[in-house]
Amino acid sequence: MRFTLPSRPPVTFKARLHDARTATAIGRWLGLAMAVCFATGVLSHYLQHPPGWLADRLPSRPYWGYRLTQGLHVASGIAAVPLLLAKLWAVYPRLFAWPPVRSALHALERISVAVLVAAGLFELFTGLLNTFQWYPWPFNFVPVHYAVAWLLLGSLILHVAVQWPKIRDHFTLRSPGTLALPEADGPDRRQLLLGVTAAVGAVTLTTVGQSVTALAPLELFGPRSPSHGVQGLPVNRTATAAGVTEASLADWRLTVDGPRPYTLTLDGLRAMPQHEVTLPIACVEGWSKSAHWTGVRVRDLLERAGGGPGARARVVSVEAAGAYRVMEMGRLYAQDPLTLLALRLNGEVLSLDHGYPARIIAPNRPGVLQTKWVGRLEVV
Amino acid sequence: MGFRYVLGGFGAACAAWGGWLLFSQPEPWRIAVWLGAAVVVHDGLVAPLVMALAVLVALAGLRLRGVVRAALAVAGSLTVIALPPLLRPAGVANPTVLPLDYPRNWLLAMAAIALLTVAHVGARAAARRVRRRH
Repeated sequence: MRFTLPSRPPVTFKARLHDARTATAIGRWLGLAMAVCFATGVLSHYLQHPPGWLADRLPSRPYWGYRLTQGLHVASGIAAVPLLLAKLWAVYPRLFAWPPVRSALHALERISVAVLVAAGLFELFTGLLNTFQWYPWPFNFVPVHYAVAWLLLGSLILHVAVQWPKIRDHFTLRSPGTLALPEADGPDRRQLLLGVTAAVGAVTLTTVGQSVTALAPLELFGPRSPSHGVQGLPVNRTATAAGVTEASLADWRLTVDGPRPYTLTLDGLRAMPQHEVTLPIACVEGWSKSAHWTGVRVRDLLERAGGGPGARARVVSVEAAGAYRVMEMGRLYAQDPLTLLALRLNGEVLSLDHGYPARIIAPNRPGVLQTKWVGRLEVV
Repeated sequence: MGFRYVLGGFGAACAAWGGWLLFSQPEPWRIAVWLGAAVVVHDGLVAPLVMALAVLVALAGLRLRGVVRAALAVAGSLTVIALPPLLRPAGVANPTVLPLDYPRNWLLAMAAIALLTVAHVGARAAARRVRRRH
């Protein structure tokens, strides 16, 4: 039996504004948001899991660097939500292009667009849910979000290359392609773009308070709020979740290993020179907040154990299990005078949830590497 | 022309790298199912719903179309980003995660959008009436 395609498409669209000018105008903002999201995401990935050759070269300054880039990562991803939905609305009729496949090359192009759409929706969906610590899927978030990011970036670049003549012909209001479109659509399109801009503004303003403390009063939908926390600071992993109790810390000692190993009690730590720093906790999930920390410089602790000016550190938490129980600290972090083994937070002794009796606070680093309940420090 | 091929080739290489990273994950087909489901849910459910709404917006007439569409775009986008905190199953023993009253905030946002839209339409109608009188 031979199958012949009907000559007319089964679905046609009469609605307006599904044109290349609308797609270009929204697409370039979406492209920019995705580029920022990708760059800041890859940066975060390497800060969190640095390969050996990079570990000692990661800079500890500017101290607010990670707070800015990870705040941007989450904000650009949230801003991309209305942009992606609007972009897909603009090009939706092309899903029903007739005939569905004209040639092998056309088939390949359609497959690459399907990959682009899948990767884009997947990244925004998994990223947004991750900020809420919600993982309803059967795979590991970090490596999969990272892999699909490359899939998304690659298919986006490919898409721009394929569509380049159309993008160029519709890039400005006076481009030849734009001028060839019905003139009556102009004001309508402008209003559509204004609506999309309003949506981007709305989702940004109602969530960005989680990383920009000054905008916290506007926050409606963020998963964290700088005004809700213990000792003025939100908690990512509670002592209960980490299996740490007051009782388990009863005979706590800090062990510092190196050429001249030693142990210290909490009183011994308090007797060492104390320093006060103001540093933010900036979480990989996007929220951040600045706080005042008091404690002993990691540099001083390493030096007392015989670590030279090139010493790195390995920090081990007393928690029983956890992906970040053992944390490696590159040379520039370990030797930075701002890097503390903190004992106090905002003028009070650390609460159990913030890592009592001692925790790491270092500049320009993801929050998961600010190890809590530190029991052991090693010169590496 | 050559520049487009170089750019396209670079894009394809990045995508292939991502594909290889995905493939080296345990049970990559499970991830593929989620990727495919994202397209199916959007193209089969979300997009037709938005198209149906767009038909309603078109009925609103040229004069109101812009503002009604903007209001729906803002309300729809805010609802999408509010869905995770509204639907996330409880059970995190951490009071600093999801500390806000999200149902109340969502209602507040929707009410604010409705109010602003009505005020905007009303102000424009009043301005037109004043202009006609003079």
